[in-house]
Amino acid sequence: MFLALKELKKGKLRFTMIGLIIVLIAWLVFILSGLGNGLSTLSAASIKNMDADYVVYEKGSGSTFSKSLLSESLISDIEKQSNVEVVSPFGSAMGAILNEDGSGNEDKTDIAILGINPGTFLEPKVIEGKQLDQGNQLGVLANDGLKDQGYKIGDSLALDGSMEKLKIIGFVENETYNHLPALFTTMDKWRLYKFSAPGSNNGMEDAVNAFVLQGPNVNTETLDKEIKGIETVSKNKAIQGMPGYTAENGTIMMMLVFLIVISAFVIAVFFYVLTIQKTNQFGVMKAIGASNSFIANAIVSQVFLLSLIGILVGIALTYGTALILPEGMPFNLDVKLVVIYGVLLLLISVLSSLISVRKITKIDPLTALGRVE
Amino acid sequence: MAGLQLENVSKIYKEGDSQVIALNNVSMTVEPGQFVAIIGPSGSGKSTFLSIAGALLQASKGKVIIDGVNIANLSEKQLSQVRLNEIGFILQTSNLIPYLTVLDQLLVVKKMAGAVRAADKAFAKELLMELGLSSKLNKFPNELSGGERQRAAIARAFMNNSKIILADEPTASLDSNRAHEVVKLISKEVKARKKAAIMVTHDERMLEYCDRVYLIEDGVLIPLEDHSLHAVKQLRGK
Repeated sequence: MFLALKELKKGKLRFTMIGLIIVLIAWLVFILSGLGNGLSTLSAASIKNMDADYVVYEKGSGSTFSKSLLSESLISDIEKQSNVEVVSPFGSAMGAILNEDGSGNEDKTDIAILGINPGTFLEPKVIEGKQLDQGNQLGVLANDGLKDQGYKIGDSLALDGSMEKLKIIGFVENETYNHLPALFTTMDKWRLYKFSAPGSNNGMEDAVNAFVLQGPNVNTETLDKEIKGIETVSKNKAIQGMPGYTAENGTIMMMLVFLIVISAFVIAVFFYVLTIQKTNQFGVMKAIGASNSFIANAIVSQVFLLSLIGILVGIALTYGTALILPEGMPFNLDVKLVVIYGVLLLLISVLSSLISVRKITKIDPLTALGRVE
Repeated sequence: MAGLQLENVSKIYKEGDSQVIALNNVSMTVEPGQFVAIIGPSGSGKSTFLSIAGALLQASKGKVIIDGVNIANLSEKQLSQVRLNEIGFILQTSNLIPYLTVLDQLLVVKKMAGAVRAADKAFAKELLMELGLSSKLNKFPNELSGGERQRAAIARAFMNNSKIILADEPTASLDSNRAHEVVKLISKEVKARKKAAIMVTHDERMLEYCDRVYLIEDGVLIPLEDHSLHAVKQLRGK
């Protein structure tokens, strides 16, 4: 640590430049992870928010809500199965709304309509206004992001391509589905919209998309065997099944992995070159009695310090960037992710410095004499 | 027995099928308080000799006894301990660590051995004072003159309070005034602190400060009884 600090202090310019590289890499890693997290939130926040363990789909739907249709009457059969605690039906549909508050705003807004039974565990808590009410079929809960488009409590909404009307009675937080702001409505209202075309409900009067289960010990195989025509998957699998979710996450993850691999090489090469430049110095130190571990300690602690500072600055910059990103950009920094990637980057730099350490242990102290016969 | 003894030391390098004998059956004893010079043309084995005496290189044959311990069979790690505790190296100029101040150059030796205590710091300052560097404690090597750098290197060699001091061409890059001053200082410290010291040099003007002079030629060590410049020149001439 002694040598590491002294050298950092003396070679400010050189180490600032290397530190800058680490800052930039960390910055990019954190921004990418924030974007990835933001995208996946946008894609499936409403499903992630559910306090659920399993989701029951129609057989053959590939864990996708839009491909699955089941009769709500199945609910009593599912409830009877062992370990199933609570079952709640769920339906989703895409649509567009037009605000009829009289402001003359004719811009339509894309939304996702999610059908649930009021009062069940699927209903999110409002941050403003009232919860859903089975007696008020018009009432919907809207994602608070819609406020930015001028929507407010009490607004009447016309559903595009439908005669149905809706009215915002409450706002909920962080509820997006399939990249769209979510509107929570009753199962009945949802059916009226979703199955307005004759036959689109496959002849089931009480059709739902899926059932969401609570019950951590549910055995999916037994469940699928006991009840014909269903497939049960974990909540995580259900999230993976959201359209585009896997593709989006895969893209971001691939970029992140590449970035981290590249950064490992860049950092390793920088420290390697830096070390090679000091071969003679290390030779001198060895000649006057420095052990390999003393020099290794100097190198590793230097890399550790430099990386730690670089990563911390990178985190600060990322949070700064988050403040100036445009509103529509899906950016969501998760503290847990920041910590994980920060530690990962730190580990990578320290490990890459071990290549330099290996080189040092091979330096012959004879080089100190400046002339090896 | 204190000091440094080499007994029948040989160093043989293998180059393909042939052998190069860098040192041929060399024996020497340096007692505490003695300052010995070794001269010789380049390629004569001076550096090999110094490397072996300084525990940088293992001899092929013979014994190297440093302060009573034969280092012939020590591991690399043990050798670095020997260098740290038993040997002070004065290397050619520019072998100071560029990012350490003069005082830190000395303290780092103590760091290598563990921790720096207040007594070590006081000792370092005392050494630097004796070598006339009191006013340069916080200067970096690039802020010092060549002579000052070499004096700092001398102080560093004495810092670990070792029994043996080895100097490798300490005057190589100095003008003759500074060279005299530096070698005089080494000699003074060697006498005052009772070190066994060996200096490898090609600078014959410096021999007057030494107790004994040896000549190495083709790996063979020849003691020079009369170490006057004249005698050396004669020997060279034949």
